[in-house]
Amino acid sequence: MKKILAVALIALMALTAVFANGAKESAPAEKTNTLTVWAWDPNFNIPALIEAEKIYQETHPDFKLNIVENPSKDIEVKFVTADQAGDYSTLPDIFLMQDNSYQKFIANYPGIFTTLDDSGINFADFAAGKSAMSTANGKHYGVPFDNGAVIMPIRTDIIAKAGLTVADFDGVTWSQFFENATKVKKATGIDMLTTSGGSEIVLMILQSAGASPYVNGKVNIENNAVLEEAIKIYARLIKEGLMTDYTDWDQYIASFNTGKAAGLIQGNWIISSITAAADQSGKWAVVPLPKLEGVAGATNFSNSGGASWAVSSACKNKELAFDFLKTTLGSNTALYDTLLVNNGVITTYLPAAKSSKYQDPVEFFGGQKVYSDIVSYANGVPTCDFGSYYNDIRSAITDAITNVVQKGADVKAEMKKAQEAVEFAIGG
Amino acid sequence: MIKNKGLIASYIVLGIFSFLSVFPLYYMFCGATNPSIDIIRGKLIPGTYLLENLKTLLDNQNLLLALWNSVKNSVIVTVLTLLVCSLAGYGFEIFHDKYKDRLMSVLLIAMMLPFVATIVPLFKMFSKMHLINSTAALILPTISTPFMIMLFRQSARSFPHDIIEASRLEGLGEIRIFFTMFIPVMRSTYGAAATVTFMNAWNSYLWPKIIFQSNESITMPMLVANLKGGYFVDYGMLMLGVLICTLPTAIIFLALQKSFANGITGAVK
Repeated sequence: MKKILAVALIALMALTAVFANGAKESAPAEKTNTLTVWAWDPNFNIPALIEAEKIYQETHPDFKLNIVENPSKDIEVKFVTADQAGDYSTLPDIFLMQDNSYQKFIANYPGIFTTLDDSGINFADFAAGKSAMSTANGKHYGVPFDNGAVIMPIRTDIIAKAGLTVADFDGVTWSQFFENATKVKKATGIDMLTTSGGSEIVLMILQSAGASPYVNGKVNIENNAVLEEAIKIYARLIKEGLMTDYTDWDQYIASFNTGKAAGLIQGNWIISSITAAADQSGKWAVVPLPKLEGVAGATNFSNSGGASWAVSSACKNKELAFDFLKTTLGSNTALYDTLLVNNGVITTYLPAAKSSKYQDPVEFFGGQKVYSDIVSYANGVPTCDFGSYYNDIRSAITDAITNVVQKGADVKAEMKKAQEAVEFAIGG
Repeated sequence: MIKNKGLIASYIVLGIFSFLSVFPLYYMFCGATNPSIDIIRGKLIPGTYLLENLKTLLDNQNLLLALWNSVKNSVIVTVLTLLVCSLAGYGFEIFHDKYKDRLMSVLLIAMMLPFVATIVPLFKMFSKMHLINSTAALILPTISTPFMIMLFRQSARSFPHDIIEASRLEGLGEIRIFFTMFIPVMRSTYGAAATVTFMNAWNSYLWPKIIFQSNESITMPMLVANLKGGYFVDYGMLMLGVLICTLPTAIIFLALQKSFANGITGAVK
């Protein structure tokens, strides 16, 4: 009998716990001066929110931010679920979204956004290539945050062994790059570049010439001459042993932290992983990526990654959200100064980039004014249209380059296959 | 001599396999005690950086809250699942007729439905019931699983019917027979079921992630995901997070190891 009682009691306690919690948590006190925000990096974009909150509280003492940490992929899953279930009540007021995801979400789940055209934010103050990523049909959906300009950090001590200097890699073309990289490989036996997930570098080269894989509502892969060139460059880098492609991201990080490679081509957010190897201080320099030759509109600049702030359709106080974004992340240069110094956030807000903080030399990079350099790279990035199919295009190109490099497949034939794969994936 | 050779060969094979299964655990432990950059560089001996990693972890994430939430959720889920599924399994087996058998087949078909396919309808359902963000929404879809019902049904098959007959003659009601006769006899099945359920509940990620909207509901797997969510990953902190997340399930498994083996094979004491 005792046992029955015990089990029944436990079950009862468990049940009360369940439903007591349910009642408590499902009815949160709704205050209009509190905004809920979803973001994902406690060392990067979350400190930005905390700083912005402090700044806004100076003029609005009862203002509060409720910051919820969610990995970016989970934010997307939650939005898709909410949209499909037709229940937006669970969405936050403001959220951060990867730039690569914007077009897909605007096209497929337009109901989750609030357009920012009435917010009073001056979008012309942001780098054009960046704000274009969260703009559709002339409407703005995101406040640009971090800079995704592509950089090519190189090890000055390793290239010096081949008798080369930073100038030999700064603003060069791909053929000059191949020439010098081969010298480095011969003199030191070290790969000039390291990468992870192959197609990313191909897409960066593609964007550096503004050769959109999606033009006028049609997939433009098969006859994209720039893409063909980019794939050939990738294949040549691998074939000549100038670059290793790691499937595993952690191994990729390890490859440049341990000096297995003399450089890499990546979005500038990789800097925090490079500087983690403190013993390599002073041995790095930052240059832009090489440029394609004989291609109209080719530049040394490209973009990879980065995110922007959006206001959800479920926002309970849109005026407050607009005003908060406008007065902090949308216009406050002092905020961006603090974020640069404390968290290495490089802005795409052009007035902030003029601040003196951006002119400070960075010791890790041998005293180079890395931040202002990166901002100037960002200004030169050509726009590149992926439609709303960035991920589909990327995975098709990954397949193509894998076949080219590993099976020696024909580049043209693989591009045709990639075109078909993307067309199939997007249903026409 | 030949026998010896065979023995040596099997030791070598077993040695390789045990190395393969133990190495990740060892690596996790090494990682938790070394700074991030040493892990990247492939250091394979334990270091002295454990406390620093713990400090960064505590500064970055609400570890204690996540642990408490995980323990709370997993214990509630385990207790309720055992109660509900064992009652169902017992009922299906002891009082079975052809309609219940048909119902059982429907249940088994439900087992083949992946959970991901039911997420949107479930979310819709709970949002209509105003249970989003509540522990109830986390627990209700998981407390009755076809697999657990089947496990209890299979083991109830080996439960001696004589005991039930005898208890009925003694004047015990059906519910009391279940609680005072069935549960004690089926201890090892309960042990096995508890291990599996607890592990599943502890490791569940997607559903809690979708159903919970606030930082206060963070669980251990969510915490570990957050550690890898940023642009820069501190591997020392990550490994320590993973280690702390793994320990409770490892302890439960070791404690219930014997009954787990017995329960899965369907032994009755």
